[in-house]
Amino acid sequence: MVRSIRMRAPIRSLALAALLLSGFPLFPGGSRAEPQGGALPRPQRHVLPNGVVLIVQEHRASDVVSLQMWVRVGGRDEAPEELGLSHYLEHMLFKGTPTRPPGSIDLMVESVGGQSNAFTSYDFTHFDVVLPADQAAVGIALLADIAVNASFDQTELDRERLVVLDEMRLTEDDAERFLGRRLSEEAYTPTPYGRSILGTPQLIKELTRERLARYYRERYVPKNMSLVVVGAVDPESIRRTATQTFGRLGGEGKPRAAMPPQPDPGGRASDVPRPEKQAYLGLAWKTPQVSNDDVPATDLLTYILGDSPSSRLNVAVRDRKGLVSTIEAGYVTRQFGGLVTVTARLEPQNLEKAEAAILDEIRRVQEEGVTEAERQRAIITAEANYAFDIETVEGLARDYGEAETNWTLDNELNYLSRLRQITGAQIQAAARKYFGDKDYARVRFVPERAAR
Amino acid sequence: MTRLILLALLGLMLPPTTLAGELPVVKERLDNGLTLLVRENPSAPVVAVSLLVRMGSRWETPQIAGISNFVQAVIVKGTTKRNGGEIAEAIAGLGGKLSANGDTDYSEIRGTALARFWRELLGLTAELALEPALLPDQAESERDFLVARLQKREDNPTTRAFDTFFAKLYGAHPYALPTLGTRQSLARIDHQAIVAWYRRFYRPERMVLAFSGQAPAAEVVAEARRLFAALPPATAPAIDPPLPAPTRAGGRSVTAQPAQQTQILMGSLAPRVGDRDYAAVKLLSTVLGGGLAGRLFVELRDRQGLAYTVNAFFDPSRDPGSFVVYMGTAPENGARAEQALAREIERIRTERVSGEELRRAKAYLLGALAMDRRTNARQAWYLAFFEIEGVGYEFPARYRAAVETVTADDLLRVARTYLRPLTTVILHPPDKR
Repeated sequence: MVRSIRMRAPIRSLALAALLLSGFPLFPGGSRAEPQGGALPRPQRHVLPNGVVLIVQEHRASDVVSLQMWVRVGGRDEAPEELGLSHYLEHMLFKGTPTRPPGSIDLMVESVGGQSNAFTSYDFTHFDVVLPADQAAVGIALLADIAVNASFDQTELDRERLVVLDEMRLTEDDAERFLGRRLSEEAYTPTPYGRSILGTPQLIKELTRERLARYYRERYVPKNMSLVVVGAVDPESIRRTATQTFGRLGGEGKPRAAMPPQPDPGGRASDVPRPEKQAYLGLAWKTPQVSNDDVPATDLLTYILGDSPSSRLNVAVRDRKGLVSTIEAGYVTRQFGGLVTVTARLEPQNLEKAEAAILDEIRRVQEEGVTEAERQRAIITAEANYAFDIETVEGLARDYGEAETNWTLDNELNYLSRLRQITGAQIQAAARKYFGDKDYARVRFVPERAAR
Repeated sequence: MTRLILLALLGLMLPPTTLAGELPVVKERLDNGLTLLVRENPSAPVVAVSLLVRMGSRWETPQIAGISNFVQAVIVKGTTKRNGGEIAEAIAGLGGKLSANGDTDYSEIRGTALARFWRELLGLTAELALEPALLPDQAESERDFLVARLQKREDNPTTRAFDTFFAKLYGAHPYALPTLGTRQSLARIDHQAIVAWYRRFYRPERMVLAFSGQAPAAEVVAEARRLFAALPPATAPAIDPPLPAPTRAGGRSVTAQPAQQTQILMGSLAPRVGDRDYAAVKLLSTVLGGGLAGRLFVELRDRQGLAYTVNAFFDPSRDPGSFVVYMGTAPENGARAEQALAREIERIRTERVSGEELRRAKAYLLGALAMDRRTNARQAWYLAFFEIEGVGYEFPARYRAAVETVTADDLLRVARTYLRPLTTVILHPPDKR
């Protein structure tokens, strides 16, 4: 699938501090790896009678299995008074069900050497468990249980309020993450994609168990769910287990609201005073939704502009002109309307020069096109992203789950061959069509002492 | 078209079945002293390389802090054959990534590529390590980028808190120095110093080259030998002066930093990798901070709602290592959070952990490490890391056995031995006390 800079809120991730601290190696341990062979089989896709989609792939790169539940509910589905509920639900689901008391789920997963995680986005919510392969059935039963039976224990619910409020502060302290969020708000407002996934402090303080439970009943229904299983498993036995668990879930739920058209971000601009001494610059152009035929060309253009140290923006704006410390381009792929963003960290006095230099580079692509070498490097990079995803079962499962939820699995499987057919002329045409000089939203983080 | 057919067309068919368990590693020591480790891993059509050199901040002084990382930054900016732009294009053309950085005990050049380009990736790694241009203007422009990175670490409350913590914990010992250096040291390090530092440390007997991925091991070994044999053996013995002992002073310091959150770090000196107590202290950090069922997470996040992030780290790649618990919390909860952290440390120092907790910690620790060792990039790094730290690349098997035998009494003993005196560092927003 198209790379995205995944502007979603990682929730249960413990890795944050580790990511920030390059000085911390992870620690040694034993591999239970059981590499195998044969060709990677095609994933099987089944629609269970109640509407739950099962995607299963046997993949014996190691003797673990990734079990992922993808639910078609996210920030975009919330009414104004429901802001933050999708994300709050994600926090609450692992807390327990009538048969699994608080704390017991994490203990069960970790006592067999497994790990769990979850994410909330605008278009979906995603739960992810990695377990030893012989625990697959136990894991599927767990996911099916939390899918509809979450208890929402009042004490647990009240305690979690403080955690979510703290998460808001954490997001704001991380300049790069916060820039992504502000840029998305700027470019997508007033559609639901422009709102905060976490909600507002006021709404979180007022959140009631009844409202949360109602939202859960309306949204966590079979037709909104996909189960993705990738690992050292037998697909037929996974299918039986899924049928006996996910296949028995009921509920009709509520149809998803239609999304309003994506607004034109041209000319929108905000300056945000910040405590950092360096400045941050973010620009965002509106690009087509994931099903559009222009997506592959726009994706390649994004690679060529800002994916690596050899990309145009890195070479021109960072290395040659020395205007920024870092610069990159990213593709935000939402179901109804994408963005291509260019973000940079720089000295405040270079803000205007850097923005002009970025526009110059884009203009150059519009006028002169890209080279064949650039086109080929971009395709190889896309191919490599797939190849590296195969290293872990959860990487592959994420590709499949996001495609099933936001796009289609077939599109995902065909995507690389579509990329290969894109010509330089099509990339140039995408640059002309979507990257107009006045068509972008801008957010700048300006050091407080220099803020206007 | 299915993914399967697509992969076949790309030449990415996956390989035949291999036996269960650890994949074999080929180890060779070249005549010039360089250590070579190659693991053929058929599981995905990619390869990774990690070249570690015994060069890092443990050999630095405050005057030249950051010079190892500086050397690494300049190395990737060009060789005698290619400039930085050409190198960047070459690696992108392999579907890969390449970077270099300095650490405390070693510095690393690491790279990845699609498997069919394994030869090119090795060649590029050798070219960077053996024939870097190290030009004066490259040093000048990298200095500016390094100063900007330093600013970013200072601007971010979490990274700043950790840098402050290590400075306090290690005192006069060079592990107190930031890997990136300081503004003053970076300004002082000139082109000549960079060249001299490179020559002093880039010697074959100080290097470990590890490779993991879908490529024939025998051919990889032959190619690596061909590329690195050109490096002449060292003529004089290396100078690795003894390090001053860190002060075990403990203490508490509070620094003002504008932010939404308060950062709290608490920790102490700890064993190093391979020490007798290493596995027990790893388990100690896992009981406290490993996973979502660890004590700190359950007690401070789930029960008290004090923080979104709370964690424990044990970094053994230093001599001595460090043990630290970390928490970011609301400023108004700062005092409560600090007391709660101290209480958890006191509890683990005085009460034996339960059998269930110990079982969970062992399973989680070994499971997490197995999962982390699934990618070729991590595999290559682990191989080289254990070798460079002196315990040997096959350390994981011994370590796994050691973890299995740790008892609750062992945990109590190491908690009492190592978790004191405590060094505490707090970063607090100035106007939100």
